[in-house]
Amino acid sequence: MSQLVTGAGAVASVGEGVDEVFRALCAGTSGLGELRGFDRERYRTRHAYEIDDRPAPGTDLPGRATDWLLRAVGEAAAQAGLGEDLSDVPVLVGTGLRELRSAELAWRDGTPFDIGRLHFGTALRTRFGAVRTHTFSGACSASLYALALAADLLTTGAEDTVVVAGVDTLTESMYGLLDRVNGEPPDRLRPFDRDRRGVLMGDGAAAVVLRREEPGAETRALGRVRAVSMNCDATHVTAPDPQGIARAVHEAQWRAGVKPGDIDLVLLHGTGTQLNDAAEAAAIAEVFGREVSGPLMTAIKCMTGHTSGGSGLLSLIVALESLASGRVPPTLGLAEPLPEAEAFRFVREEAREDGDLRVAQIDAFGFGGVNAVAIVERAGR
Amino acid sequence: MTHGPGEVVVTGVGLALPGVGTPEALLRRTACPVTGPAPEPFDTGARIGRRGHRYKDRATRLALCAALEALRNADLIPSDGEEVTVPGDTVGVVASSNLGNLDTACLTAAAIAERSALDLSPMSLPNASSNVIASWVAIRHGLRGPNLMLCNGATSGLDAVHWGAALVAAGRVRRAVVIGVETHNAVVEDLLGRSAGELLDGAAAVVVEGARWAGARGARAVAVLGPYERRAGLGGCVEALLPDGAAPGVWFTPERYAEGLAGAVPVPGAVPRYDVTGAVGRASGALGVLQCAAAVGWLARAGTGAGTGPGAGTGSAAFEAAGPGAAPGPAPAFRQALITSGDDTADAVAGLLLRPAPDRCAPHPARAALISMECSR
Repeated sequence: MSQLVTGAGAVASVGEGVDEVFRALCAGTSGLGELRGFDRERYRTRHAYEIDDRPAPGTDLPGRATDWLLRAVGEAAAQAGLGEDLSDVPVLVGTGLRELRSAELAWRDGTPFDIGRLHFGTALRTRFGAVRTHTFSGACSASLYALALAADLLTTGAEDTVVVAGVDTLTESMYGLLDRVNGEPPDRLRPFDRDRRGVLMGDGAAAVVLRREEPGAETRALGRVRAVSMNCDATHVTAPDPQGIARAVHEAQWRAGVKPGDIDLVLLHGTGTQLNDAAEAAAIAEVFGREVSGPLMTAIKCMTGHTSGGSGLLSLIVALESLASGRVPPTLGLAEPLPEAEAFRFVREEAREDGDLRVAQIDAFGFGGVNAVAIVERAGR
Repeated sequence: MTHGPGEVVVTGVGLALPGVGTPEALLRRTACPVTGPAPEPFDTGARIGRRGHRYKDRATRLALCAALEALRNADLIPSDGEEVTVPGDTVGVVASSNLGNLDTACLTAAAIAERSALDLSPMSLPNASSNVIASWVAIRHGLRGPNLMLCNGATSGLDAVHWGAALVAAGRVRRAVVIGVETHNAVVEDLLGRSAGELLDGAAAVVVEGARWAGARGARAVAVLGPYERRAGLGGCVEALLPDGAAPGVWFTPERYAEGLAGAVPVPGAVPRYDVTGAVGRASGALGVLQCAAAVGWLARAGTGAGTGPGAGTGSAAFEAAGPGAAPGPAPAFRQALITSGDDTADAVAGLLLRPAPDRCAPHPARAALISMECSR
């Protein structure tokens, strides 16, 4: 059974609101900048894809992730006609790092912060009256995992409408530890390029309203979620496993009732790390087989940075916009694809117009081997 | 609107707590808190060994201990091994912890400010991600089903039990191990403004399983999951679970629930009430799972005491003998345990009913086969 996406919201380094974000990505606009909120002298890496909303360079505030989440949910709820009252609607939030940045500021610098706001339930209740709120801290696939759980709630008949969201901001601990383990520090994120140097974090939030499909409601929907898979590699705490990823891709296509040849567009996870991009490319090549040169492929983290728990849902919103408009944002910085991805039909350098896109696949994988893959299709027509 | 998770049962319980080894002991300690010197901290090495755990944080190690015992208790892992005896992709993991990796995040941020990121240990990287607890449980036992980490405030543990059941009800997995864990350290104590002695350092785990799958492998159920609710306040939550003021057999109250202070008491005064945090410390994200473990202890005791079935806790009746839902309806309210987490000061209150397993409700083999089929949808 499919579900309709009846509203969407997004906040990222490249813009505010789904329209602005999608336009920016299609124009090849990157949110890359020098580190804004941390002391640059403490790191070899100096860049990130941050939302520029701090009062002054080098200073930081608690609660920024919560603010973006509320804005993204507000945009999605308004578009879906739910208004500001979500007292009857479950809200599932996927995040990698919750408000851990605020905890860092509170503990180290004494910045006032209510530790009861590490999760997002209190803020969602204050703004929207929402009480059935759930914060899932599932690393970088968290928001697609939340989408899968929401789809289950609709499929089993437990709910008619669910809000799904994802959000993350840079924590100094994660940024610093990634800096520590990176080889040569990356100055930009280059998904699937042979010379990629690693991941750079990004700020952002995304939200969608998911509704059970009803006759006649389709024309107002942004698109349809056909299926979402979720699984766990259970092999390594940080390194991805191509077999686990392949299982997740295969399961998503199987649940959606599509074959690789039916997929017109793939929004790859593409973090620009040696391990992810090689593992993801190998898994996609394995599952797609002879069809691997069929779908257009792109990875938006080259412009948004790795928005962690929110990244899967942000990619999903971009995929729906691409299906609706026929425009696909490019994978910037991709000069020469890594060997495993040589046959992929990447969109490079500039956005591509292709009016006949119908079905898209969205990948999201996270630390701990947590994989989620969504299959969506264009609404109407 | 009450959303029951369907035919989902509890087939295993595991604890990693100082001085408390079983659900029955947890219930006893809750009912009669001991005074005197605190018991020694739980020794994780004694249960899971010491090799290979050097870089795991305390919360992860406690969770591994509770999960191992719950999986063994559910007969999903042999007593001499660690690999599950069912396909790994039929088992999900749901962990709950609000405070688990706060120390890694804060201490790392402080170390960067004092020196630089170059001086960090790369081995801390996994612990910077809050889902490290659920990940390690999956890796250790080869559990390849969905892997969830709940960090959802005061209700998080009970929410985790609900999501475990939801994964089963949706057919994502046949069973899931649900773990609640919290620990204390300088960072947690400072951010909460509480001393170590007030705070839990431990974990609890339950295995929730589709009744048909438990029956198929001959596993014994120790409880049946009733409906779950998440509401704006305690009164509304209890009313949704037990309409018209029906009295449960026992009430596991929210952490440090004080009668009379927060308006009308939603449960009749004659109902025994227990606060497990009085026995093990403030439990935050672990609370709901601890409450479920204690409620399993209560159901075992109630089964024996009421004389309504074969000896409880003796494993006399295999689950398949009676089948799920062998009683014509859910057990009467007075035989059910009411569990609530979060109070009127929290963002919401979560509640769950835990019911006796049917082998103690209707030990009538002649009806069992038919009922089993009905419940095997």
